[in-house]
Amino acid sequence: MMERDSFSRAAQRYLDGERFGGGEGAELEPGERAVADRLLAEARAYHARLSPLPSVLDDAVMEAVRRRAPAHRAGPYQWLVAPQTVRVRPFWIPVLAAAALAVWLAPRRAVPVPAATPVAAATPDTVFVHFELAAPQARSVAVAGSFNGWRTDALAMTRGAGGVWSVTVPLAVGEHHYDFVVDGSHWVPDPTAHVQVDDGFGGRNSVIVVGPKGLVRS
Amino acid sequence: MTPSDGAVVRRVLAGDVEAYRLLVERYRLEFARYAQAAVGDRDAAQDAMQEAFIRAYDALATCREPDRFGAWFFRILTNQCRNAVARRRSRVSLDDVDPAGGDRADASLERGELAEALDAALARLTPEQREAFVMKHVEGRSYEEMAELLGVGVDALKMRVHRARDAMRTMMGALR
Repeated sequence: MMERDSFSRAAQRYLDGERFGGGEGAELEPGERAVADRLLAEARAYHARLSPLPSVLDDAVMEAVRRRAPAHRAGPYQWLVAPQTVRVRPFWIPVLAAAALAVWLAPRRAVPVPAATPVAAATPDTVFVHFELAAPQARSVAVAGSFNGWRTDALAMTRGAGGVWSVTVPLAVGEHHYDFVVDGSHWVPDPTAHVQVDDGFGGRNSVIVVGPKGLVRS
Repeated sequence: MTPSDGAVVRRVLAGDVEAYRLLVERYRLEFARYAQAAVGDRDAAQDAMQEAFIRAYDALATCREPDRFGAWFFRILTNQCRNAVARRRSRVSLDDVDPAGGDRADASLERGELAEALDAALARLTPEQREAFVMKHVEGRSYEEMAELLGVGVDALKMRVHRARDAMRTMMGALR
């Protein structure tokens, strides 16, 4: 067999499991097939040497998260008042022609909520947040976030003049992550949110922090 | 009936911290071998996985699709494994490792020796190549599964695996 440093295209197909046409590796030169089979054997041997990690890991994790249990709720307020680095996103226009967004807060009893916008009853720790997204081409827009279990159909926005969609939502004091859902499937981050975080899927979640008396960082 | 990932995530976010154990156990079993193969050291893999679970808990409210918690967690785990590999590389001089195993690499190699040779060769791949090779050939996942977990297209993953194989072939040349 001629010595070579890389697998032939046929060998790569064979190793990928593409075994159509001529049977398993039938088109391969015998020497190269032996090399390929050897590599697969090595991988199987390596796998056989690995073993499950012990359940003590679960205990260690649970011990750690119990100590951090309030983090989901207390964290946002701490974030609100603590010095931190704020990532300001470069100006970006979403593909879906979402041109402008205004998020404003209406502290309870301080600023009236637009009459046309349905609003659920607020509690003493709740602040009304008005979301807007200009998306003239959209057929539907909703806001989904950590405050509604990221359900895409729970907070539908109402189309207004100029294709500006809006909804007012009572949010609890704390940090919330959200995005807009256009036409039921396109996730659009808030173009004006100053803080965004990685969503773990290659996209960004917008962040809003609602503080007591309507103080907000978004 | 086993609760779905989404149901568990919502319980945890609602304040049921203990429910998080369900996810920890589920994905410790699912990804334990990947972590070990990706890091190349069992203890370091265990540390990486533990840290990944804690980071995932801290960031749970940002998990946009709770029903896909596994894929979301996997990416956190991948980052932790890369960090672990970087820490190991800073401590171990790879020049001290004989990836080909020299003249041991003949037809009579024992299983453990084969695995050691592969481990040494894996250590010389790029993180992306190593992850791809491990998922494809050590774990036996399909390219479609890999794409779902890594969020990378099938064609790009095939390229990583192909390059990894070529690199492995070069490093393990004595096995030809």
